[in-house]
Amino acid sequence: MKSRVAADRLRDLQSVTDAALAYLPLEQLLNELLTRVVGILDADTAAILLLEDDDKTLVARAAHGLEEEVERGVRIPVGKGFAGRVAATRQPVRIESVKTADIYNPILREKGLESLLGVPLLVEGNVIGVLHVGTVEHRLFNADDVDLLQSAADRAALAIASRVAERERGLADALQSSLMPRLPDLPAVALTGRYLPAASAQLGGDWYDAFQLPDGRLGMAIGDVVGRGFHAAAIMGQLRSGLRAYALDGMPPGAVLERLSRLLRQLEPGRTATVLYLVLDPHGGTLVASSAGHPPPLLAHEDGDPDFLELPGSAPLGATRHATYEEREHYLDPGAALLMYTDGLVERPGESLDAGLERMKVVVREGDGNLELLGDGLVNALLPEGPGEDDAALLLARALPLSGSLMAQFPADLESIPLMRRLLGRWLSEAGATPAEADDVSLAASEACANAIEHAYGPGPGILEISASVSAVGEAVVAIRDFGSWRAPRGENRGRGLLLMQGLTDSVEVIQGDEGTTVQLSRRLKEMVA
Amino acid sequence: MNANIELDHRDSVGIARLTGDVDITQASVLREQLLGAVRNEDLGLVVDLTDARYVDSVGVSLLFELAERLTGRQLRFAVVVPQSGLVARVLAIVDLESVAEIYRELDAALAAMRGG
Repeated sequence: MKSRVAADRLRDLQSVTDAALAYLPLEQLLNELLTRVVGILDADTAAILLLEDDDKTLVARAAHGLEEEVERGVRIPVGKGFAGRVAATRQPVRIESVKTADIYNPILREKGLESLLGVPLLVEGNVIGVLHVGTVEHRLFNADDVDLLQSAADRAALAIASRVAERERGLADALQSSLMPRLPDLPAVALTGRYLPAASAQLGGDWYDAFQLPDGRLGMAIGDVVGRGFHAAAIMGQLRSGLRAYALDGMPPGAVLERLSRLLRQLEPGRTATVLYLVLDPHGGTLVASSAGHPPPLLAHEDGDPDFLELPGSAPLGATRHATYEEREHYLDPGAALLMYTDGLVERPGESLDAGLERMKVVVREGDGNLELLGDGLVNALLPEGPGEDDAALLLARALPLSGSLMAQFPADLESIPLMRRLLGRWLSEAGATPAEADDVSLAASEACANAIEHAYGPGPGILEISASVSAVGEAVVAIRDFGSWRAPRGENRGRGLLLMQGLTDSVEVIQGDEGTTVQLSRRLKEMVA
Repeated sequence: MNANIELDHRDSVGIARLTGDVDITQASVLREQLLGAVRNEDLGLVVDLTDARYVDSVGVSLLFELAERLTGRQLRFAVVVPQSGLVARVLAIVDLESVAEIYRELDAALAAMRGG
């Protein structure tokens, strides 16, 4: 008789630790496991609750005979009631009579359950959830019952842990690819970025972003949400979108960070993040920067030693109630590169942050002019053993010298005119025009742009294209092209605009095509004429 | 670059000192302030463009509009422009001299207003 019992027990144990279960999708595996447990223990109900990321709440995940628990998304605080006590004590809990016990979940009573047995789901000693069974009849669960339920719980925990790790890896990959923003393509700036997930493949909270603002300037952001895991990554995604939204609304960097700090405090009080946000006028080189406790970007000059951009000290986002973020204006020379990074790139265990920053300077000083190679070089030199304990992000921008011919597009908006003027002015002086010639031609081109903006398009959005080159006879030829319908300049302003175009250049030609109008301005450059 | 306007008043002459880019993006703000700078009991208004970097056709039109308003009220209108540079070239092309007295320096403009 005794051997018969032992054989049954072995079969029961095999049933809940069945290797074949591993081939089932997680939901099916859990449901199958619960069905077997109910059968073996001759119970009426069984349920699995899993611990949330915050380690404070259990949520029903699978059930047998207690389907309402999952459907209603029952949430039980750790420490409260029956399942809460199993999770808090990490010990099996037996309840003989639900009527007299401390029960949190009303469904257990609604179902008319009388006796309960719960065991913890453990992974490497940590609780990840609870498995419990219940009977309508009064029942005293014995030690064998506890052992069997614990074996089933261990099997479930193993499957859940490996599926969660798998899912997190998949999410980390998806996040990484969505983290790679499509960097804007601008004539005057080269951009590249790197994101390196942590070695543990755990999700991280680092990100970088770059986007063109409505006025044609370039917004660049890099940030680091404190903490790890799915939750930190989700907050990161929200901050990234929030930053873009505020920036696209035309807010300057300081105001963007102030609003972002408020947003973070509302999303999750107590969570903090460091962020650096910069706005670059790609044509004039002016850089407006604001930092929320983020490490300062490194400015790599074309010649000479790199130095860190001076920014006013500031609190991380979310750290204080009424955070204010000052702005600092800097200048990015043609050829100079700006390095924005998160601390995961420069920090190594047992080493000061300064040592990492110093290493970064060395790479930059010896670095190649090619931005992609510089990015690879930085990653190789700073993380020689591959990913670190923390994830890391890197964003590089270089102001490009404008050589050869120029071609750029702007939104057909008045705000574009000063940007276009600075771009063209810079191109003209790099092409050999005197300051006076550069001024004259830039102003004439601004008038052509103003004319196109006011007359080629209705109130809707449109595009202006500007191209410039120096002809073989030393003439600067600038073409401003719109894609709207031509209307003769009208009003006194535009009449004077035409007068100025003619007075400041040698020739003004208006070419009307099927797709729009091109105004071509030519001016002989004195120093270019042999 | 934004335009800046500084208003001053000396011996019944209004002075508006414009710096930066007097252009299409700044015109509406400047227009209101410039029109407000003229007082009926004044002898006239001097617009000082010594430190203006840039004046486009919209800025030019603003100067013409001022000239018309002042002349209509029997007030004098003077503009201070350096001898050379982009602003001087622009104002020569549009012939601002046909509607305003042009001076090279502010003191000369003020002296002329008071004396004449």
